[in-house]
Amino acid sequence: MKRAKHIKLNRQGILWVVAALSISMLPQLAAMPAHLIPITLLPIVWRLLAEFRDWKPMPMVLRVLATGFAVAALVITYGGLMGRSAAVSMLALMLSLKLLETFRIRDARIVVSLSLFLCGTQFLFSQGVPMIIYITACVLSSLLALMYLHRGEAYGNLGKAPDNDRGILTELGFGVRLVALAFPIGLVLFLLFPRWSSPLWGIPEDALDARSGLSDSMTPGSIQSLFMDDSPAFRATFEGVIPSHGQLYWRGPVFWDFDGSTWQVSFLSRNLMADTKPDPGRAPLRYEVQMEPTEQRWLFALDYPALVPRRTRLTMDYQILSRRPVTQLFTYAMASNPNFQDTPQLRQTLLRAALELPQGFNPRTAEMMAEWRTEANSDTEIIQRTLAHFNREEFSYTLNPPLLSRHTVDEFLFDTRAGFCEHYASAFTVMMRMAGIPARVVTGYQGGYYNNIGSYVLVRQSDAHAWSEVWVRGSGWTRIDPTAAVAPERVEQGAVDSLAQRRHLFDFEWLRNVRNTFDLFQRGWNNWVVAFGADSQSRLLSIFGWDVLNSTKLVIVMIATIAFVGAITFLLAPLLLKFRSPRKQDPVLRAWQKFNRKLARAGFVSSPSMGPLELAECAGGQLKYKDDAIHRIAELYTLCRYSQADGDALKLAELVNGFKPEPAVR
Amino acid sequence: MATVAGSQARTSVLNGIVSWVKQRVHARRGPLTPPFELEYRHIFVLPTSFGWGFGAMLVFMALGGLNFNNNMALMLVFLLGTIAQLTTLIAYRNLSGLKIDRIYAEPVFTGEPARFRVFISNDDTRQRFAVQAGFKDSLDCRDLELNANETLELKHPTTQRGWLEMPSFRLETRFPLGLFKAWAWIFPQTRGLVYPAPARKAPPLPRTGRGQGGRATRGDGDQVHGLRKYQPGDSIQRVAWRASARHNELYSLEMETPKEEACELDWDLLKGGDTETRLSILTAWVIAADHKQLSYSLNLPGEFIPRGDGVNHRLKCLETLALYLL
Repeated sequence: MKRAKHIKLNRQGILWVVAALSISMLPQLAAMPAHLIPITLLPIVWRLLAEFRDWKPMPMVLRVLATGFAVAALVITYGGLMGRSAAVSMLALMLSLKLLETFRIRDARIVVSLSLFLCGTQFLFSQGVPMIIYITACVLSSLLALMYLHRGEAYGNLGKAPDNDRGILTELGFGVRLVALAFPIGLVLFLLFPRWSSPLWGIPEDALDARSGLSDSMTPGSIQSLFMDDSPAFRATFEGVIPSHGQLYWRGPVFWDFDGSTWQVSFLSRNLMADTKPDPGRAPLRYEVQMEPTEQRWLFALDYPALVPRRTRLTMDYQILSRRPVTQLFTYAMASNPNFQDTPQLRQTLLRAALELPQGFNPRTAEMMAEWRTEANSDTEIIQRTLAHFNREEFSYTLNPPLLSRHTVDEFLFDTRAGFCEHYASAFTVMMRMAGIPARVVTGYQGGYYNNIGSYVLVRQSDAHAWSEVWVRGSGWTRIDPTAAVAPERVEQGAVDSLAQRRHLFDFEWLRNVRNTFDLFQRGWNNWVVAFGADSQSRLLSIFGWDVLNSTKLVIVMIATIAFVGAITFLLAPLLLKFRSPRKQDPVLRAWQKFNRKLARAGFVSSPSMGPLELAECAGGQLKYKDDAIHRIAELYTLCRYSQADGDALKLAELVNGFKPEPAVR
Repeated sequence: MATVAGSQARTSVLNGIVSWVKQRVHARRGPLTPPFELEYRHIFVLPTSFGWGFGAMLVFMALGGLNFNNNMALMLVFLLGTIAQLTTLIAYRNLSGLKIDRIYAEPVFTGEPARFRVFISNDDTRQRFAVQAGFKDSLDCRDLELNANETLELKHPTTQRGWLEMPSFRLETRFPLGLFKAWAWIFPQTRGLVYPAPARKAPPLPRTGRGQGGRATRGDGDQVHGLRKYQPGDSIQRVAWRASARHNELYSLEMETPKEEACELDWDLLKGGDTETRLSILTAWVIAADHKQLSYSLNLPGEFIPRGDGVNHRLKCLETLALYLL
């Protein structure tokens, strides 16, 4: 007999396969570089055209060529096939190319299965609330595709179309009911399936994709690009009082090395550990940070972190560095003391590092700073004068600053005078160093949105900020935010609200507020679903009085629960999986069947060969009941059936409903 | 060559296992002679090859999800796995309670595929979808509405005349996703009659008719037999207008087909040639004689069927030829 390998796809089949594939591809299409999109979509379009224009399958040579071309384009774009984006784009592209040869049921099934796999890989990139819609659409469309493929396979041997097409809505309803029935057991599995506390294999570090977020270097423009990104960076839930907006400086990468255009993390700061840190017991700020994956090592905390989470270290400039890049949602408890004195005694090497500048850059600034140095009595005076300079002169805070060339600080200070926080922080730090004051650049986030309902602070990528720290003898490293001197509202209101113009077409304040409030759901989702792991499992089980279980016991609990839920499902399945007949059932037939059932219950066995009148005759003889009713029903049924004018279906139903036969006489 | 032999050995081992299981099932549950209802003990459920592949994909996804602690991917795996598991129940329910009313074989000529008709009915309140049945080469498929009867047609090649015992077959379904197949082995006790293949180039019918010729049959034909009163349904072309005009009443012509002479189909007429060839020529003659509506007799060594005509006569002659010396 012909099997799926040979049976040709029918039109319904291929359309549903294409639908399932396209839906599961959507997020990947949105994420891939623009020039790869047409390459990915082209095979799908070809396959659809082939279906409607009866084209033959593409010759092998062309398919191989197309595949080679696509892989080459991918390698050139991503610089190799390592990395999640590249690998998943590859999967999407290959699946799309597979359509070129998908003319049989078997190939179609492979495409549908791998579409589901593609759907699974998308959760490596995002596990946000909107993905629920995506997962539902993927599962339903794939189920429908599989149902149509099965139908195609079953009837494919006959060379004719299925005799009764149930229609999309019925099929969809069936799919929904399948999912609804499977969901409880799936949920039990989800909650109780033993999790691995540590991964078997990690993501190789060169496979990480630079994601949106702060990075290990800062060039003018790098934070600015973050500014368009409203995705959450982290959420902080405070115990007790929440500092005012202006106090929320979330510390991230700290930069010491400047080469004239780019600030870099220095070797020293990475490798020297902090000698002292604030006493956690006396830290006034206590909070929990739920951090979105960044694929970087930095953890964020308010100045100055008093706790060091597991598997992280605290560097001498108070960056918290994770041992592994943060590739999934990560929650840590943190305490901060803003009044901590940072490094009152600076070592010689660090002092030199904090004063070093590249030779031959920014001569005009150097000249000005030398002049200020001679005029000033103390470091503090120079700092004040510089900030006053930013404040008094015509400096503006803008998203679209003019491009700078070689002497970035000179051009910024004397020519363009328009920039973003990174320009100010960079210029200020360079000026300080020129004046002989040790200084460094700190990047991180400033501010955040306080969600009233959830009482937590949401920090978005667009809150990214850069500021300076200067070392003052006696008081140690001190934070100076030159941007605040130019645009105080940046620090008080947040970066986005302080801008006069909209960032993009749909950048409305009310929309941002709605989104900030909606973030509450995302946080709940993160807590209960995305961050669910071995710990949450034992916490959940402790509600039922089971303390920390090992995985063997967990499996036993899981199997028992599944048996219980499965039994309920088993009982519910017949009710839920019943199909309503696609055609409206004939009321006359329904009444007659009911009548037959009533007779059967009374003990009358009819044979299929009996006509209605004959049946009435026999039943009347056998059953202790007024013959009259049985005969009347049979006669009315015959009338309804064979004479359109005289039959009255309602009357028949009424008679049948009123009919109560008594048990047969034995 | 070696690989071919190896794969053959593998398939033969596989077939061996399958037939052993079948024998066990047969021995345990006995022949199921229609009418009977499929119960849980008749129905087996196993994944299809696609089902295995799908399962392997789910395992990979689960490993990835566990490794990266990716809960949404895990949720997807668990959901799909449960759905797949649920389809075993659905496939099972699609078969159980199905009634096989009877199995019937139409007689065929050797060389034509034997057609076994399996009458199934669904007395249940649920619909059945894509119930399949078949031997190796043919697979029939039907949906069954509530309270519906359907006939599945199974074809089996024939190579020799005589009785063809209907081999065991599977009533199966892969509804709804094709991940699992549920099936029941049916061991029918039905046999189909296979007539000898009619000879392609049979000699002309022997005109050895002795005695009276056949009577003409009335009805359609070329010759006018007589007149009769017009009856509703008579063709308007057959109305005898002249006669009708004379009698002021409608008359129509009654036609008849003249009967040819009778013939005797005798084994001894066919000198030379082996038994099967002779039988196949005789078969061709029976068909030809029946077609010409001759009255014919069949004479085989040890068997004699006296002269007769009509469907039953033909069937009797063909059956005699089919079973001759078997």
